[in-house]
Amino acid sequence: MAFLLRRLGFYLAAFIAAATINFFLPRLMPGDPIQIMFSSTGTELSAENLESLKLTFGFVDGPLWQQYLTYLKSIFTGDLGRSIKYFPLPVTEVLGHALIWTVALMGTATLISFTLGTFLGILAAWRRGSVFDVVVSVGAIFATSVPAVVTSLIVLFFFGFTLNWFPTGYSADPALDPSFSLTYIASVLYHGILPMLTLCTVLTGGFAVTMRNNMINLLGEDYIVMARAKGLSDSRVMIWYAARNALLPTVSSLAIAIGTVLGGSLVTEVVFNYPGLGNILYQAILARDYPVIQGQLLIMTIAMLVANFIVDISYVLLDPRLRRT
Amino acid sequence: MKSLIAGLVRNRKALVGMIILLIIVLIALAAPLLTEYNPAARVGRPHQPPSADHWLGTTRIGQDVFARLIYGARTSLAVGFGAGLLITVLGTALGIIAGYRGGKTDEVISFFTNMVLVVPNLPLLLVLASFIGQASPLVIAVILGFTSWAWGARVTRAETLSVKQKDFVKSAEMMGEPRWRIMTFEIFPNLISIVGINFIGSVIFAIITEATLEFLGLGDPKTVSWGMMLYNAQKASALSVGAWWDILTPCFALALLGIGLSLLNFAVDEIANPRLRTGNSMSRWSALIRSGEGRL
Repeated sequence: MAFLLRRLGFYLAAFIAAATINFFLPRLMPGDPIQIMFSSTGTELSAENLESLKLTFGFVDGPLWQQYLTYLKSIFTGDLGRSIKYFPLPVTEVLGHALIWTVALMGTATLISFTLGTFLGILAAWRRGSVFDVVVSVGAIFATSVPAVVTSLIVLFFFGFTLNWFPTGYSADPALDPSFSLTYIASVLYHGILPMLTLCTVLTGGFAVTMRNNMINLLGEDYIVMARAKGLSDSRVMIWYAARNALLPTVSSLAIAIGTVLGGSLVTEVVFNYPGLGNILYQAILARDYPVIQGQLLIMTIAMLVANFIVDISYVLLDPRLRRT
Repeated sequence: MKSLIAGLVRNRKALVGMIILLIIVLIALAAPLLTEYNPAARVGRPHQPPSADHWLGTTRIGQDVFARLIYGARTSLAVGFGAGLLITVLGTALGIIAGYRGGKTDEVISFFTNMVLVVPNLPLLLVLASFIGQASPLVIAVILGFTSWAWGARVTRAETLSVKQKDFVKSAEMMGEPRWRIMTFEIFPNLISIVGINFIGSVIFAIITEATLEFLGLGDPKTVSWGMMLYNAQKASALSVGAWWDILTPCFALALLGIGLSLLNFAVDEIANPRLRTGNSMSRWSALIRSGEGRL
């Protein structure tokens, strides 16, 4: 319990620090951020309108500490201001819409990669040194050391442009209205295949390698030898004795991976023009849409912190030694 | 150190990795000898497919793709090794100091390390780069250096804690050697493998991240680099007009460099830790991947 409380304290401190960086970043940059912000929208604004807009966006005048306190308060009340690019939509609405796409795309890709990677890792470790193991290990090195930009572009080139099998952008046919109709869902799935394929290529290798190594470490343990000596079948030893225990440390990397889901996969979403959180952040950066940038950074930080905390809790649950200290 | 180099020559993965890296370095160094074209100049008609005059075709505005490729290698390598060095120096120094000194120093350094590790890296880099605006390769390398040292610091600290308990450190302390001397000459040489892995991993991370930032349009348009090649090709819709040479060239170059460095990293890990050669050979390597590239 003391351990969890200490971690909770750390995450709170980390959160405040991240929120502070988030607050100061636009203000530390040369020039008046508000001026840059509104000049980039390209519209002429009267001084009076500018003032009222500043107010709407939460740019309070006054000493820095007062602005800072207002900012902190707005975080805890969930009021993140209004987007500049998508004015007058509130930031929460812009992000909320993108969140659905990102969770659907990245979340599914993470789960598929985890399942597939774990499965490949188990088999590779079980047949260590075989052709299968070499193919999986080398494939994992290749897939993870190639930049995501490159993987995305190559997938887009071959399957999108050369073979013309799949659409090259958007999350669904723009001509269709979003609804729960069969045609719309089919279109969403059809558009999701290429980004999904890219993400799975990028993510699977890491999970496979982790699982393989955990398994190999465990295969030398006495209880595995014992299980074999008892004459249990290979598949039973592999799944119920080795894999079950090797899976525990992998769960923490899954939790962290889920924590990064809300960051979206920026590069893949940009290449495939997918309307997720990563793409929204990218567009916001190009448009200098500070409220959206700040909101998205905040969401990502919170997701990471929560994921880390879940890992801590799972360690306490799985490792009784931590409960005493 | 000598055995590390001897081991690298014998290891097949290391050999392939080193050959790839060496070829890229040589091509980058010999760039002016290999092409007559200026990588920034307009030297042909736009979007010409590969031919005898232009081995890898031309870009949308008629630059020679091959010239841009081999001059661009200089930028990628310079940013990669420069930022990699900065990341490694910072991470190693902080890790050894935290691990060896312990107490309050350790608490402060560890707190910052853990904090940097939980704040999402790439988005922060993006925001920083966009605020600076048209970041040159040098600026990108410096930003990377100062934001990406945390993983190295954490791993180095953990290793330092175990080396610190060894007898030779105790005896050096008994003899009254100053602390900085113990950290530099007793502890550091025993961490050389972890430092090497950290260094190569950081180089890979820096090369990938530089290319990504530039691809996203946050780089300086005047730079000749693989990331800018990707950005320009994408902006010129090279894929939809069928100019595959324009966009696939930097793609394959980046993939090749990434694979070469990863093989090398993998091999250093195996050689430095003989125990790993048989079994757990990729554990730290995969941790490295998760720490950096995974977030892209």
